[in-house]
Amino acid sequence: MRHPFYLVYCLALLGATTLAEYRGWSLTSVNEMKDVPKSVRDNPGAYRAHYMFYPRHIGGK
Amino acid sequence: MSTAPPPQVKSLSCPNCGAPVVIRGFATTLSVVCGNCHSILDAKDPNLAVLQQFQAAERIQPLIPLGTRGKIRGDPYEAIGFQVRTITADGVDYSWAEYLLFNPYKGFRYLTEYHGHWNDVTMLRTLPEVGTSGSRPVAKALGQTYRHFQTADARTTFVLGEFPWQVRVGETVRVMDFVAPPRMLSSETTGSETTWSLGEYIDGRQVWQMFQLPGSPPRPVGVYENQPSPFGANLKEVWMVCLFFLAALLALLLFFNVFASKDRVFSGSYFFSPRAGQEASFVTDVFELKGRTSNVEFSTRTDLNNNWAYFNYALINTDTNQAFDFGREVSYYFGSDSDGSWTEGGQNDTAMVPSVPSGHYYLRVEPEMDANAAGVTYSISLRRDVPTWSYFLIAALLLLVPPIFLTFRSTGFEQARWRESDYPPAVSSGSSGDDD
Repeated sequence: MRHPFYLVYCLALLGATTLAEYRGWSLTSVNEMKDVPKSVRDNPGAYRAHYMFYPRHIGGK
Repeated sequence: MSTAPPPQVKSLSCPNCGAPVVIRGFATTLSVVCGNCHSILDAKDPNLAVLQQFQAAERIQPLIPLGTRGKIRGDPYEAIGFQVRTITADGVDYSWAEYLLFNPYKGFRYLTEYHGHWNDVTMLRTLPEVGTSGSRPVAKALGQTYRHFQTADARTTFVLGEFPWQVRVGETVRVMDFVAPPRMLSSETTGSETTWSLGEYIDGRQVWQMFQLPGSPPRPVGVYENQPSPFGANLKEVWMVCLFFLAALLALLLFFNVFASKDRVFSGSYFFSPRAGQEASFVTDVFELKGRTSNVEFSTRTDLNNNWAYFNYALINTDTNQAFDFGREVSYYFGSDSDGSWTEGGQNDTAMVPSVPSGHYYLRVEPEMDANAAGVTYSISLRRDVPTWSYFLIAALLLLVPPIFLTFRSTGFEQARWRESDYPPAVSSGSSGDDD
């Protein structure tokens, strides 16, 4: 190929797609919290995620 | 072993102005132009009889000075003649320059130049076969088909140096050009005589190199009729590579679909009523996520009708105390009005948690609803290592971007080429103004 740039670009895309699929990446994201207290299992109501206070959409036409 | 003596130029004087006239083409020269007074002289006449005198509107200096020697395709040539020819289209004059090159053993060839575009031209010894393809004339020569580009009457507007024919300023020939980039076939017809020549596009820098000219050649302006497309040759390759990688992408997608484990690692059904007044949140039993770090698909199915529910989820690793938490709203509304029946939302929801390491996990679930809602029955199921389409779709689109871009550029180049021909591409008109 005269210009191998596109070939390299294609290989990079294929590699990135394989890695994304293999590692289970997603376009959506979730919050990752570290050191969640073990007491959550005994007292689930004590756990609060930061997004829980966002306004809720109430649907309907 | 004897060698041929080096050719010598013949020096004479112009009978009109007395300026020296040099003849480099020996016996082949039929007319020579005095560089001082622009008298066209009969080179076969011992007294150099004046054949024509013309007043040049401007004294044009050839880019390759006459007498300059250079090597073309390994053979030495000397620039001995220069003429400018002009066609008039829609009242506009278009002029190009022709350099006559001579080698006493190889004969003549030409270099033509138009706005920085150069062609190496040789006379064709075989007669091309002229026919039509569709509604357009084509010419076939040397195993190649050339498409008709334009027909025009070209008149000689300036001459300098010497020529193997009786050159005259004002002389008009009918020129037909056929192109198959980087080559072009040209026919010149005067009366009943037609000559054919074959031209090949060459870079101006090559011309400068061949003749060891100082400075740099003029930059090409626009697209010339037989200029090779900088995109054309590469375009096919790029599309072939693109199709190959699209196929590879599809194969990869199928591979992951077949070999992804898609294991159901948890499922449970629940009921939530905000009226009960109890703690809404609860945790599930511990379950195991096996294998490599991969995604987890959350599916929530409800029996919501004209209502909404919000589910706060936390997937908590009992080994590392790491949590993946997120919320999903599920709402489903339906009804009918003057427009007919309608629905909005859905009773089910699916979410993907990316890159979850293996380990022991439990779920913390906290549903929410309007305080007056009757309640919702819902089920949650989790699947491990589920193939997704999104990255494949994005990769496929990104793969297509360069070839589509190149195709647009190539099409633009070809349109610019044919815009100057007898077959300009159709241009879509803008606002017609009919609405006014």
